[in-house]
Amino acid sequence: MLFFSKWKISLILSCLLLGFFFALPNVLPSNTRANMPGMFNRTINLGLDLQGGAHMLLEVDLSSVMSQALENEKETIRQEFREANRLRTETIRVDFDSDSVFVRLRNKEDSERAYDLLQSLSKPIDPSSLSQEKTTSVQKDGEKDFRVMITDANVADIQKRTIAQSMNVLRRRIDPQGTTEMTIAPEGDDRILLQIPGAKNVDDIKSVINKTANLSFHMVRKESNNEAALRLAVEKGTVPPGAAYFPQELGGGLIVERRTKITGECLKTSSEGLHPEGNYPIVNFTFNIRCARLFGELTSKNIGQRFSVVLDDLIITAPRINGAITGGSGFIEGSFTLESARELSLLLNAGALPAKLVIVEERTVGPGLGQDSINAGKIASIIGLIGVGLFMWLSYGLRFGTIANIALSTNIILIAGALSLLGSTLTLPGIAGIILTIGMAVDANVLIFERIREEAHLGRPPVNAIETGYRRSLAPILDANITTLIAAVTLYFVGSGPVRGFAVTLAIGIIMSVFTAVIVARLITATWLRRNRPKSLPI
Amino acid sequence: MKDISLVKILPMEPKVPFINLRFFAAVFSVIALIMSVYLFSSKGLNYGIDFTGGTVIEIDTGGDPDLAKIRTVINEAGFPGATVQGIAPDASSTLNHNYVRIGIPLQKETEETGAAAQQIAMKAAQDALIENIDGFKGSENIRSQEAVGSAVSGELRQKGILAVALALLMVLGYIWFRFEWQFGLGAVFALFHDVILTIGVFSLTQIEFNLSIIAAILTIVGYSLNDTVIVYDRIRENLRKFKKMPLPDVLNLSINDTLSRTILTSLTTLLALTALYTLGGSGLRGFSFAMIWGVFVGTYSSIFVASPLLLLLKLKRGVNTGNAEGNSN
Repeated sequence: MLFFSKWKISLILSCLLLGFFFALPNVLPSNTRANMPGMFNRTINLGLDLQGGAHMLLEVDLSSVMSQALENEKETIRQEFREANRLRTETIRVDFDSDSVFVRLRNKEDSERAYDLLQSLSKPIDPSSLSQEKTTSVQKDGEKDFRVMITDANVADIQKRTIAQSMNVLRRRIDPQGTTEMTIAPEGDDRILLQIPGAKNVDDIKSVINKTANLSFHMVRKESNNEAALRLAVEKGTVPPGAAYFPQELGGGLIVERRTKITGECLKTSSEGLHPEGNYPIVNFTFNIRCARLFGELTSKNIGQRFSVVLDDLIITAPRINGAITGGSGFIEGSFTLESARELSLLLNAGALPAKLVIVEERTVGPGLGQDSINAGKIASIIGLIGVGLFMWLSYGLRFGTIANIALSTNIILIAGALSLLGSTLTLPGIAGIILTIGMAVDANVLIFERIREEAHLGRPPVNAIETGYRRSLAPILDANITTLIAAVTLYFVGSGPVRGFAVTLAIGIIMSVFTAVIVARLITATWLRRNRPKSLPI
Repeated sequence: MKDISLVKILPMEPKVPFINLRFFAAVFSVIALIMSVYLFSSKGLNYGIDFTGGTVIEIDTGGDPDLAKIRTVINEAGFPGATVQGIAPDASSTLNHNYVRIGIPLQKETEETGAAAQQIAMKAAQDALIENIDGFKGSENIRSQEAVGSAVSGELRQKGILAVALALLMVLGYIWFRFEWQFGLGAVFALFHDVILTIGVFSLTQIEFNLSIIAAILTIVGYSLNDTVIVYDRIRENLRKFKKMPLPDVLNLSINDTLSRTILTSLTTLLALTALYTLGGSGLRGFSFAMIWGVFVGTYSSIFVASPLLLLLKLKRGVNTGNAEGNSN
């Protein structure tokens, strides 16, 4: 146990040296750090609870996306049946209980043709992939009845795309310049984790999360002039087929065409501005080429009629078309302030969220509290370290106390090095983990020293006592530390957020303390033995 | 040069009759366990928002706060069940006056609010504060704000229970693998003892029970087991060494053999934890309290619960032929 071959010694020393260099950047000023080579300029990441920032868990409203998908499917089926030759239906409606589109034919003789038509609407989800997964499945329910369902594979695909798109839009909204070091990651099936370090104004962030920014242009239908039809829409929620009712921002509401091809996706850019004549805030926009042409056609066909600009189910303006708009650009006027015009143009530039997001968990720490926690953690670690160090000297005397304390300080340096190298995050509970490790790390050394003391007491000569002491204490040390490691690993996999930070520091601390006590301290002891050849042990 | 060291004061071969005290210890433990279960079922735990859901806002009004007024404002904003406390900053804090902690209980998720109920409550409370409290201007005065919805708190509760159960199970598996089954059972009994007593003390003191306490409980499990394993390891070694010695004597000898280590490690851990408790800031006080308690309970249980249990479980002598290095299989 006490003999170390040359290569073993150099391996141990290089481990220590590496650990030392990985830990070093944490205490260097940042300009010196910048000149260090890549691997050696990493520092420990501070968690949001230490540096301040916002942590939010957002729930994506996937159920509304799925009902929208069913609505779209229904519209497509309606369209196709209308265009098909003499294929008449009695009802086409979405049945939310069975998550399907229900189709009832007028004549049962059409059954086969209708089935073929419905089948033809089912497309491969991903044409480039080898799998034959289709978007919908058709089920014959009776002589005249069909049910069209969205396949499980398609549901999964839609949900995956919804989450991915939501994350992209969020990133563009919160960080249009791409300068913030924020984290956006999917969590579970229907959630997004958002972590923004040093977030100053959480309210602004929340306000852009809470808006879907779904923009669309709809033609206003003539029923909007009909008092009775409007009342029916408001009170009973019934509208003519193919129409929709939206409230207006300034009160009242309009009945408009449900279907539209001009949506937020048409927008190339938008910016806030001032009305050229009225000098009040407006939002300028330009369409992409495709939509510019569509909009040109639409406006030239409908001169004299009104169209509405709908944002998140609210009509913000409904101007009359005075002439064809073919340039592909225009502006939206509403009751904007400069502030709200700027926010809307930011939202439009970032694109609409495919689904509503709800903040189901929020933890925000201001910079003041973060700094307080860091200070408290530093003081507690230093005092804890000094206390334990003094105690070891007191307990084991100068020589073995020093060995234990070298092991302890090496341990702390290695923990810092490992945390920097792994790029793991140091949280407030993580600091607790380190301080706890300071207390527990000496355990391995205590076990070894106690064993050596015992063996020496049994009459073994010093070298033999130390040799036996190290050998016999190895099994209990490993057993004891593996069990704590099991607890730490469990905590890591089951725990969340800051608690994970604790698990990481605890686990690293355990591994490093075994390494320093069993290997580093043993090397030091062996070297001391060889140099001094003591007659008796100072322990 | 002569070293003066503490370990020399500790006797080399202490002969404390721990095992003879096992009946007192058993009575003590059983009473403590019953009390803990009784407290838990009658008083319950003071769960934090991690497990109950709800909103906590900590604000700094720029000077000593007018708690009565803040309480009125919050109550009138529609939160009669809210708590408002003034908290003194830590010595190392940048603040030199009290700050305020406002707790709003979980708001019901109605059809109108949906899962956003807590966010709506938080906004309403802050708007009321901005309007009525002079020193509060919004986010710049907020030290921290947390809002947890009912779905998330339910999941965190489940995860917490799962974590403790899973850790106990895995540890049991490891001990089983390394020792005979009596040891595994003894160790896990001792761990249950520690966990139940920790929950009991949290019920008694009504200190907030949150996610970091779950972390503390798991660490206590690790620490207590660490202690137990050290003693067990020595028991196994001594069983092999002194084949004729009666089992109670072997147990007692093993506990005494490892006693100085037990004392020293407990003391250093307590030293570090005391530093954490007194200087580590309010955020870690609950955690360090739990851990300090855990060190005492864990040390006690390895000596007075885990070891005597081996007698009760009728550890067989002949089976324990494994050598001291522990490869008994």
